[in-house]
Amino acid sequence: MLLVDIILPGLVLGGMYALIALGLTLQYGVARIMNLSYGESLVAAAFGAFSLYSGLGLGPLAALLLAVPVAMLLNWLLYRFLLERLMRRGKDRGAQEIDSILVTFGALFVIQGAMLVAFGGQYYSYSYLSIPLTIMGSTLAVNRLVALLFAAVVGGAVYLALTRTRIGTAVRAIAVDPNAARLVGIDVAALSGFAFAFGGGLVAVGGVLVSMFLTFNAAMGVIFTMKALVVVIMGGVGNVLGALVAGLLLGVVETAVARLVDPGLTLAATYALFLGVLLIKPTGLFGRAAS
Amino acid sequence: MFSANRRTLLRVTGLAAVATALGSFASAADAQEKIRIGYAISKTGPYAGGAGITTLPNYELWVKDVNAAGGIKLGDKKLPIEVVEYDDRSSSEEAVKAIERLANQDKVDFILPPWSTGLNLAVGPTLNRLGYPHLAVTSVTDKAPELAKRWSNATFWLGTSAQISEGLADLLGKLKSEGKIGANIAMVSIADQFGIELSAAGREAFKKHGFTLTYDKTYPMGAQDLQPLLKDAIASNPDAFVAFSYPPDTIALTEQAQLLKFNPKVFYVGVGTAFPLYKGKFAANSEGVMGIGGWNADSPQLKDYLARHKAATGKEPDRWASSITYASLQVLQQAIEKVGKLDRAAVAAEIRSGTFDTIIGKVKLKDGLLQDVWSVGQWQNGEFYALAPASLPGARAPVVPKAQWQ
Amino acid sequence: MTGPLRALLWCAALALAAAVVTYPRYANGYYLALGISVLYFTILATAWAMFSGPTRYISLATVAFFGLGAYTAAVLGETMPWPVVLLAAAGVGVLTAAITGLSTLRLSGIYFVIFSFGLAELIRQLVIWYEVNIHKSVGRYLFSAVTQDILYWQLLGLTAIVFLVGWLLGRSRYGLALRAIGADETAASHSGIDATRIKLGVFILSATFMAMTGAVMAPRWTYIDPAIAFNPTISFQVVIMALLGGAGSLFGPVLGVVPLVLLFEVLTATLPNHFSIVLGIIFVLIVMVLPNGVIGLFGAGRWRVPAGHPATASARKMDATLLAVDGVSKSFSGLRAVEDVSFTVAPGEIIGIIGPNGSGKTTLLNTLSGALRPSSGTIRFSGTVLNGLRAHQIARLGLARTFQLVRVMPDLTVAENVAAARLFSTSNGSDATGRELLDLVGLGTMHEAPAGELTYIDQKRLELARALALQPRLVLLDEWLAGLNPSELETGIALIAKLRERGLTIIMVEHVMDAIRALCGHCIVMNAGSVIARGTPDDVLADPKVVAAYLGGDDA
Repeated sequence: MLLVDIILPGLVLGGMYALIALGLTLQYGVARIMNLSYGESLVAAAFGAFSLYSGLGLGPLAALLLAVPVAMLLNWLLYRFLLERLMRRGKDRGAQEIDSILVTFGALFVIQGAMLVAFGGQYYSYSYLSIPLTIMGSTLAVNRLVALLFAAVVGGAVYLALTRTRIGTAVRAIAVDPNAARLVGIDVAALSGFAFAFGGGLVAVGGVLVSMFLTFNAAMGVIFTMKALVVVIMGGVGNVLGALVAGLLLGVVETAVARLVDPGLTLAATYALFLGVLLIKPTGLFGRAAS
Repeated sequence: MFSANRRTLLRVTGLAAVATALGSFASAADAQEKIRIGYAISKTGPYAGGAGITTLPNYELWVKDVNAAGGIKLGDKKLPIEVVEYDDRSSSEEAVKAIERLANQDKVDFILPPWSTGLNLAVGPTLNRLGYPHLAVTSVTDKAPELAKRWSNATFWLGTSAQISEGLADLLGKLKSEGKIGANIAMVSIADQFGIELSAAGREAFKKHGFTLTYDKTYPMGAQDLQPLLKDAIASNPDAFVAFSYPPDTIALTEQAQLLKFNPKVFYVGVGTAFPLYKGKFAANSEGVMGIGGWNADSPQLKDYLARHKAATGKEPDRWASSITYASLQVLQQAIEKVGKLDRAAVAAEIRSGTFDTIIGKVKLKDGLLQDVWSVGQWQNGEFYALAPASLPGARAPVVPKAQWQ
Repeated sequence: MTGPLRALLWCAALALAAAVVTYPRYANGYYLALGISVLYFTILATAWAMFSGPTRYISLATVAFFGLGAYTAAVLGETMPWPVVLLAAAGVGVLTAAITGLSTLRLSGIYFVIFSFGLAELIRQLVIWYEVNIHKSVGRYLFSAVTQDILYWQLLGLTAIVFLVGWLLGRSRYGLALRAIGADETAASHSGIDATRIKLGVFILSATFMAMTGAVMAPRWTYIDPAIAFNPTISFQVVIMALLGGAGSLFGPVLGVVPLVLLFEVLTATLPNHFSIVLGIIFVLIVMVLPNGVIGLFGAGRWRVPAGHPATASARKMDATLLAVDGVSKSFSGLRAVEDVSFTVAPGEIIGIIGPNGSGKTTLLNTLSGALRPSSGTIRFSGTVLNGLRAHQIARLGLARTFQLVRVMPDLTVAENVAAARLFSTSNGSDATGRELLDLVGLGTMHEAPAGELTYIDQKRLELARALALQPRLVLLDEWLAGLNPSELETGIALIAKLRERGLTIIMVEHVMDAIRALCGHCIVMNAGSVIARGTPDDVLADPKVVAAYLGGDDA
């Protein structure tokens, strides 16, 4: 039973990792924005969910209906008025990457500062769906299961949308080569903006859902940014399926190490796994071959 | 120098109106009108969470209280406090630089300490060299006695790690001898200096009292899921569960314990148990949970403090270091008033040697350390009462076994 | 510049230097602390840019080395003399950088960025685990008598060294090699540059400075724990400062460090509660307004390398067979792209390789030049077996190439592109100077133009000049004439003919049959990976098998 008790909670933890990484696969993989303010956006969504819950009594799942469109709009504005200019200015992908790192680093401070003014530096936490559910002898929290479920459903849906629809194909074409995409008549700027905004919406999903079970404060964004980056890179940039698999893998490994080896080594093990994957496959689990 | 010269120059040229306009600029030099107090605190970065609950609200409350009463009495007149504040961004180097700035640029009269052991130790040598009294309240270290010897201007207020662990072990030992709990303890701790010192001291102390550690592991800072750890701790079937954890983990451990229906006779977690957040989140389930700290909630001074804190900052204080932080500021004020002038060396000496009347009762430091500190508290009827050391006035009896989670 | 003006500038520079050195004598504690901040970020950012600027490998591992240095100081600081501690810190930096560099430098782009971050975190987790389980205490105390003055001077010394080393590096051939790698790693290795070794060397050098900075700073904080020593924001700040200033030049990073440190300082002081927001906005504005970093304002930022190193005169060895290809095959996971190809090339000969698209011509060239390793068969060049040698080694033996899709190093000037190929050349072939080579290919007037701004044909010319600069005995031209208009084609054919007259041996893959007829004495025809015909151009082009192959091909 120990095996089940490792795999199930591992998958649940991994589901959370995948969930917080989904937005970044779109923002970085497709829109080519290396968004350093990613974690701050996520925490902002968590604060939004907290405010709606404590202020209006609106549950986080209902809050999604509000948070996601708002986040998409804000991210679209950010892209349209700031990032798009940089994308046009950068003469190659390297220059665009550097510019987007710098600008989103500034955005990080703006978002964090706004949260500090509104909420101060202290910790926030509330309880929602903190109900035990026993599956095959392993007890799991419903709120964490919901996060896993969302990761799987949203991740799966985005994956299908990218591979099975016309617009998805266009988006993937941009991810591979924006210049070539432009040549075949794809409106790269508009679609990149859409991908970035959609990624922003997914960040909001992640933020709202993790607020149900994680304690957070205004200064914690960088933790999520880093986790998301690790998952995205490990899965292969721009590959939604890769992010899902990488997230779940990290969760299971972390849980296995905690149960079987030493809880003190969990984070070391996840980083070792990440580095190991990159050493064997330099472009991630599902990455395209290096060009 | 600069502003004084400029002022002379301006007067000479007869532009008195401009000089008046620059009045706020010049006020830096007028030490007689105000007492300038500076601090750099973590408003951003990983320490913002701790500083935002324990330290910053108390600085603000204290300044408000003192100024509402007319200021600090210096000789025969009262001088209001003027505050200079910076953000150290949770960085040791920024903290040191901010101290230099407060001392050399702003020429403040006194400096209040940053939050956390690391930052207090980082600014220690600088405050010592500059001769400012250093109230190292939020630093818990076994090196405290040695540091207090090394830095005669510094004082330590939360006890040592050993004191906290021994307080807990004494309490558990007593419960064991009364037959209320068995001899098995599961202990988890966070892998930083705080967790390591406490768990190391705990290991010794528990052994001395005849306990067996059935589970004893650390976990890294930033671990997102503590359920695996908790499951193995539960499997070891302990009578008491002890976690030396940080606030997010304290909350996560409590939540997971409820989900897993883990009901040991003693459930001790913390830092963070003493935070109002804990009671707010777990409500009735916080009942019976033990943690670091605690206070004598029946004391009228503390009741009054609680009310003022709520009124001024909009939230309740934590029940461990908050009241001590505030008390340390009262000590500073009274020391300044006793010395009667802005003589920092004399004030530092007075803090160490004097006896003061504060919200936590009479305070008298010994060798630069506050001796009587609460090590264990417990949520009872919605208040976090202090349990140990039982010898201190106001100590309550523990409620054991803890009620089942609801 | 006139004499008196120059003297005045020298005086100003000396006065500035004196002011910087004696700074602790007149600055108060706060300004001194500010100076310390500026210096320590200057060292870190300059060291970072030393590697990351030219190669464009954005490393987030700064704090890994910085933290290890700080830890080394914390562990040894109270028991060992200070110089030993510094050396030990440098040693730890070298060792870690060597191990990690070897494993990571094959990654590129974002994968390297995040890998370097993961690396820093892994090192931090391992240090924590070691401290918890072996040392039984996570924090370390380091009481030291180092005053701010001494700290400042130590950092100043280190700053001077880092600038000196950076300057020497920039002037050395390694500096240009590093920039060539950053511009186009493949082209660089085919120009004889050992990309891996140079990247590793500079990575280690930069890590050493970071580790020493950590060791110097550690005593200031009394207390070192992993959260302090391995604080990832240090890595980010360093990247941001260096990029903002301009990471492509030696003095760029410091131009980012000074304004940012001051900006942080001013904002924390005036707006302690809103500083984040304002800082963020200002930061965004700066990036939007300064696309090339602060140093872009001065229009500077490159280390120029003088064109045309005089090359040493050399004797030419004549062999009966320069290149012998024997039974070479190359397959990609089952797909055989080149199958059992054999041919020989005599000195002074021009061999044409023709065949429909996808017939394996470029793959064959890639196995010859070391871009790919043949699955079987042997390749001998002037008696040396090339199998298993890497691109830069083959290039240094005197086997140069151009690429089907032209590859110049776009950020380097024309002259630098050529100079890059001569850096490590050990061949004793042609002995023309860079200037002569550029004249030869018709780029004599464009020495200082950035290669990226050349027209397509000029880039092809430059690529040829770069190949020739290796002083090669054999040049592989991969569709070098493709895409040229008729008059350009004529010039191109004449140029190749001129090269043959100079005694150069050439293998050309080409679709332009006129050129093949005009230049090649001998041709081999490939189809589906195999040689299907060989002989004079006229013979093979009349061969029915060849005609069938071309007609059957998708697009001939």
